[in-house]
Amino acid sequence: MKKCGLWGLVSIFLFLIFSGSLAAKEPIKIGAFFALSGPAAFIGTPTKLVAEMAVAEINKKGGINGRPLELVIGDTEGDPSKAVAIAKRFIYKDKVVAIIGPTRTGTGMAVKPIVEAARVPTIMTVGGDPVIMGGKFGSYRYVFKTPQRSSTAVRKIYQYLKKKGLTRIAILTATDGFGKDGRKWLKKLAPEYGLTIVAEEAFNPRDTDMTAQLAKVWKENPQALVAWTIGPAGAIVAKNVKQLGITAPLFQCHGLPDPKYIELAGPASEGNLMPSTKLMAWEQLPDTDPQKPVIAHFVHLYKEVYHYDRRFPINTHSGYAWDAIMILARALEKVGPDREKLREAIENTKGYVGISGVYNITPEDHNGLDESSMIIVKIVKGHWVLEDY
Amino acid sequence: MSESSLFLQFLFSGLTAGAIYALVALGFCVVENSLRIVNFAQGDFLTLGGFFMTTFLLSLKIPWPLAALCSILAVGLCGYLLERIALRSAKTHDPLTLIFITIGASIFIRGLIKLFWGKNPRIFPPLITGEPIRLLGASLTRESLLILAVGFFCVTILHLFYRVSRSGKALRAVAYSPRAAALIGLPVGFLNSVSFFLAGALGAVAGLLIVPVTGVSFDTGVILGLKGYAASVLGGYGSFPGAIAGGLLLGVMEALVAGFISSGFRDVFAFALLFCVLAIKPSGLFGTHEEERV
Repeated sequence: MKKCGLWGLVSIFLFLIFSGSLAAKEPIKIGAFFALSGPAAFIGTPTKLVAEMAVAEINKKGGINGRPLELVIGDTEGDPSKAVAIAKRFIYKDKVVAIIGPTRTGTGMAVKPIVEAARVPTIMTVGGDPVIMGGKFGSYRYVFKTPQRSSTAVRKIYQYLKKKGLTRIAILTATDGFGKDGRKWLKKLAPEYGLTIVAEEAFNPRDTDMTAQLAKVWKENPQALVAWTIGPAGAIVAKNVKQLGITAPLFQCHGLPDPKYIELAGPASEGNLMPSTKLMAWEQLPDTDPQKPVIAHFVHLYKEVYHYDRRFPINTHSGYAWDAIMILARALEKVGPDREKLREAIENTKGYVGISGVYNITPEDHNGLDESSMIIVKIVKGHWVLEDY
Repeated sequence: MSESSLFLQFLFSGLTAGAIYALVALGFCVVENSLRIVNFAQGDFLTLGGFFMTTFLLSLKIPWPLAALCSILAVGLCGYLLERIALRSAKTHDPLTLIFITIGASIFIRGLIKLFWGKNPRIFPPLITGEPIRLLGASLTRESLLILAVGFFCVTILHLFYRVSRSGKALRAVAYSPRAAALIGLPVGFLNSVSFFLAGALGAVAGLLIVPVTGVSFDTGVILGLKGYAASVLGGYGSFPGAIAGGLLLGVMEALVAGFISSGFRDVFAFALLFCVLAIKPSGLFGTHEEERV
């Protein structure tokens, strides 16, 4: 008799679970793929964690019009052909409504024609601009990206240089896709700000020593150096600059503001300047900045609720996945899970106050951020200091 | 900066990079001198050395010299295990099979590193610090000098070991003919393991020296391994003085190409050089004939 009672209880319990799940609305599926392994994994893995955090927060508040969001995760390994395979799986097998990611510009470019052909709204977290450029780069009706354009970061640096009255600059760029993109904009925009590029050199991001290139550009007496690379190579440039006794200020690109940079470059990072999202020095922002409370909430979740900070200390990129999910969620709330309507709603995102800036997306600008979304930070005694707002 | 000091700076830059290539090349030579194969996991020994050091020095707070010794022994042990478990159980002397196993081992090691130490780059402070040395307008860091000194020290020790000591001669006998070596009673398998231990230890030494300068991530060893291989081919595959000469020469030529022609051509040049050496003079600069080996 006792046994019967127990079974009865279990069956009632099971009935409750199943009826409960049947009553809950079907989740909205979003494909999310990042470089979770491979050389860009140190960017891809925290991006995925933040995306999951954003989705968990949305679902905690009841999801989108009662339907929870569900992330379908994929690992591109930073490899364009794998990214294409995963994108196809997302679209044709998992039947996702929209896609977030990937991480690297190369994978983004490989995926672009696929999502364009299948008409799936895709918000990328890649650094390079060609994913949202038309002409020879193909159409970009369905592709958006949350990180600032390279040209925005270049403009931020140039505005600062102009303000300080520095006109002669030398540029050092990596030979990879990211470095070449930076080089293009550095050269193109210099005349607009009255700057002269007196020397330009390139280096392989895997090189262990850049003194040869630095010695060469220093010979031309530039007033400032601008280096354009991501990863440990940037720290090597900083060390070599100090080794050669170069006194001109060193600017790094917007990809480097990261506690890791200070760790890798050590004392050589002192005085380095870089354009960054406001995340790196958010506590020093004026209270009038609309982003300040938004960032404070994000940092609280990241550090104290989800405890990601131990494994992946917050860097300038941390907010991009959050912004991508939130822009998508806002559009979903407005028009529901219809791909075509969703695309249009994302394109009409106005005044979304995010972690990385205030987004105003237009049909021409699928990023929606300008120079005001960035700050110039300076490394002073191993800390990030707001240098120019 | 004048033209002459610019040239000197390129030279210093090349010597720093070259000394590391040389240390990696020495590891290739050690394996060549017993198993006669190319060990493609050599670059990953360097990475492993760097990561072990971050653990011993930063997490366990062991003092520098002791942590370095522990790292060298740990990576040596990894090399030993690689030979003992993966290579010997293949039960073959076919070089191609063995080389493929080392390629597999290389991918395996990178996977393990990602698992244990994560995907972020790491760094630890160097043994010696101080202002760079300035000479005629060019500058050379103390770390570079240390790398050069250790490189020369290692090659001297290895040269003496292989030419003078009985164990070294035994290792060379195994290289010359494993069969004959076994017939005269040499423990061939054990000697092979020893050479892999040495290769691992040398890789760790290279890692200990380069990581404070560049930092280490799980794939640091890939390109350095290839450059080290190019250096040892340039110097004459299997020759210890050749490894040093090849490494320094490759480093200096790369820096000069980067400085005077274009920095974009640096890697192209290194691998084009490798191609030319293999095509024109496969024995390299210090390459010796088979008969002279023992």
